[in-house]
Amino acid sequence: MTISSQEAGATLAEIDGIVARVKQSRLYRLTGGLLILWGAIVVAADVIGFVWPRWTVWTWAAANALGAAASFAMLRAGADVPPRLPWRFLAAFAVFVAFGLLWSVGFGRFGPRELDAFWPTLFLFGYALAGLWFGAAFAALGLGLSGLVLSGYLWSGEWFTLWLAAVNGGGFILCGLWMRRA
Amino acid sequence: MDGLDETIHQPIRLRLMAALTALSPSAEGLDFTRLKSLTGATDGNLGAHIDHLAREGYVEIAKAFVGKRPRTTVKASRAGRAAFARHVAFLKSIIAQT
Repeated sequence: MTISSQEAGATLAEIDGIVARVKQSRLYRLTGGLLILWGAIVVAADVIGFVWPRWTVWTWAAANALGAAASFAMLRAGADVPPRLPWRFLAAFAVFVAFGLLWSVGFGRFGPRELDAFWPTLFLFGYALAGLWFGAAFAALGLGLSGLVLSGYLWSGEWFTLWLAAVNGGGFILCGLWMRRA
Repeated sequence: MDGLDETIHQPIRLRLMAALTALSPSAEGLDFTRLKSLTGATDGNLGAHIDHLAREGYVEIAKAFVGKRPRTTVKASRAGRAAFARHVAFLKSIIAQT
């Protein structure tokens, strides 16, 4: 059996297409688990912040530490080979946090409501950017949830923290479930 | 340079091997449902092609129960990875000659 160069080219293109789908599927599956984890953390932290507003800062500090440790454990468990410490990811995370602190605590004059809107939209902006490299689902997640957070900021009144629990935390969980099935 | 591997060149088996070799050798493989969606094959057709690859020693099949549901996982063997790499090299050589 012989094949032409056109057929060989088409076969190689098909192989590339399958490989890309498998890699994206693996990425979505792993990310889906992380989104479900962070969605649950966001729901819990926002509900605690709504019931006991004075504990909001400590709640979020504990939630972030718990989420970071659980995320790293999930990445280790889900990787084909044990990952090294993800320095690039940690550096990107540190840059986002530094930028957030610079404006929320330093130069900006944010009230509690503005802070509640600022931090989720800052990290959702990161998801939207990630969509440029890792797939449209990340961009849709970042932009869609940012829109919902901002609409809550403008129109949800005193229920804003619970609104965040529902649309930000709930949105993460729903997107995570979808990604695991994609 | 080896010639065309007719076992791998069949379209469904080519997609199967492309998907399975995209994973690292230490990964657990892909389950039947995922392979069905990647190849676009029917249950019976996919099963027959997986069996064909297993007879050639290109894949390893693991069957287990997750709860009460049977789960079939397929993984590329070392021989399968080598054969697929040779097949891809052969395809590239054809293009390079033109």
